Amino acid sequence: MIPETMLSSFRDALGQALLDDKAIERTEGTVAPQSVYDVWITVERDAFHRTIAHLCANFEPHLSVISGDDLGDTLALNYHFSVGWGERYGEITFTVRTSVPKNDLRIPTITDLLPGAQTSEREKQEFYGITVEGIPDGRNLFLPEDMTIHPWRLDLEDETSESVKRLVKWETRDE
Amino acid sequence: MNNESINLSIGNETTTCYNVPIGPVHPALKEPIRFEFKLSGERIVGVDIKPGFAHRGIEYMGMRRNLIQTLYLSERICGICSISHPLAFTQAVENAAGIEVPPRAKYIRTIIGELERIHSHLLWAGVGAHELGFDSLLHVTWNVREKCMDLLEQLTGNRVDYAIPIFGGVRRDIPAEKAHLAYEAIDYYRDLLEKMLDLYLRDKSVEMRTQNVGVLSYEDAVALCAAGPTTRASGVKKDVRQDMPYLAYADMDLHAITPADYGKEAVGDVFDNIVVRLLEVAQAVDIIEFCLENMPEGELTSIPKVPALLAALQKAEGEGIGRHEAPRGEVFHYVRLEAGREEPVVWKVKAPTYSNLMGWVPKFMGDEIADVPIIAASIDPCMCCMDRVHVVDDAGNESVRAKQDLIKLSREKTRRICG
Repeated sequence: MIPETMLSSFRDALGQALLDDKAIERTEGTVAPQSVYDVWITVERDAFHRTIAHLCANFEPHLSVISGDDLGDTLALNYHFSVGWGERYGEITFTVRTSVPKNDLRIPTITDLLPGAQTSEREKQEFYGITVEGIPDGRNLFLPEDMTIHPWRLDLEDETSESVKRLVKWETRDE
Repeated sequence: MNNESINLSIGNETTTCYNVPIGPVHPALKEPIRFEFKLSGERIVGVDIKPGFAHRGIEYMGMRRNLIQTLYLSERICGICSISHPLAFTQAVENAAGIEVPPRAKYIRTIIGELERIHSHLLWAGVGAHELGFDSLLHVTWNVREKCMDLLEQLTGNRVDYAIPIFGGVRRDIPAEKAHLAYEAIDYYRDLLEKMLDLYLRDKSVEMRTQNVGVLSYEDAVALCAAGPTTRASGVKKDVRQDMPYLAYADMDLHAITPADYGKEAVGDVFDNIVVRLLEVAQAVDIIEFCLENMPEGELTSIPKVPALLAALQKAEGEGIGRHEAPRGEVFHYVRLEAGREEPVVWKVKAPTYSNLMGWVPKFMGDEIADVPIIAASIDPCMCCMDRVHVVDDAGNESVRAKQDLIKLSREKTRRICG
């Protein structure tokens, strides 16, 4: 997969909604070095779902995982895909990034396009307190159902560390 | 069992559906996870999966420790994948910080990674045999696995948690005087392959228990983003080592193993999972031999002194992705570093079972309750890799109360079940 082909396809499809794009080239192999690429695009939240729709319609993506990055006023979500698998040196990593304001933590689900995204979307809900709109199964995945804290949110750090202290106390208790 | 759940109408008959919970702790499961099956007779018509019982908060911990401490923490995400996570993590950090890795270090990382694949697949094959009730085969398989564990101990000093990769290289060499040990192991496993294929794939009872059981179709494997041997058994030619080569894999001609390599059409059943994993053992042996024969001379690491390495990491700014094809599938690490901060600002870990979790549902559907152990085992699940946070909600008095509530609920349930 050539990153430039992908990027121009997204530039055409998204126009102004594509805020940033870059392709990072690395070289692998000591005998006959070849290039591999990590591609990153940043899109507006409003255009996020159609970005993924464009990705799924034109390239057969595999979603590795969604990572989150608490930036203070906003929460950045990185959807890490890989595209072009099946042949040697055929694959590039393709990350779609979008920012969600902390006072309006909502993102549309992509499970209608890629059902395998559900595990990672559920995890983001419980760890960041974000609402994934339209998720078929929005229950907590790893954390208990009655858990109220969101451990990866930096603004809720006090509550989380309090919970960690209670956990340590509970685990080291003398029974 | 309780039959308060749902009534299914099939044709003119009405069948009662039973809910059968299995886990979190159950003899058929090697690690804690809870399945809630809906059964119509012996047939599975629905399943709900609840992971999270082995959560330890490793990402949270890692984001509060310096990168070298986090490296050793990543090694302890899982005992079986104890090189896979560090390999992905070091690559993520090296990509973020722009640290070069000497060629010899890449080859050493690859050798240890492939030795791990051999022992992990043999461990899985043994578990599979045990789940089928074929315990003599379990003992044979785990006996031959010891050769690999011994070799790992001789090369690295440890049977698990080898502590080999460091940012910018490796911590230990494989000197020429130890290479013969690896060659011995290569010969040992080469001689063994035909016997293993015979025991697993040409045995009538194994065939009957595994063929067309726990099927994951090609379409489901792609749509559910499954990874590793689980997806390759369904005929999806997806393998990071082939698709986006790294380390020494970039120097060798390597292809993703599917059942087609055994001259068989991919069905995606448990049998195909055995085929793929056994052939990958043979492939790993070839890779190790390639690495030993073509190992470049040179440095082991680009920044040998730990204080210098820490200082370089503290200055680094950027983000990076690290991927490694672990025995169970793709391990993915995302790291973001900020200058002046010695810990990773963001660290996200994705283990293969995380990807394969949803693939379990179509695998279970329509099969019998007695097939649950082998289907559950077929993706080679690793809960401690997938679950990384353990939180107990409340301590002190409240915790005691919660416990009493549980006991009360449990007693009520016993009364209800006994009528």
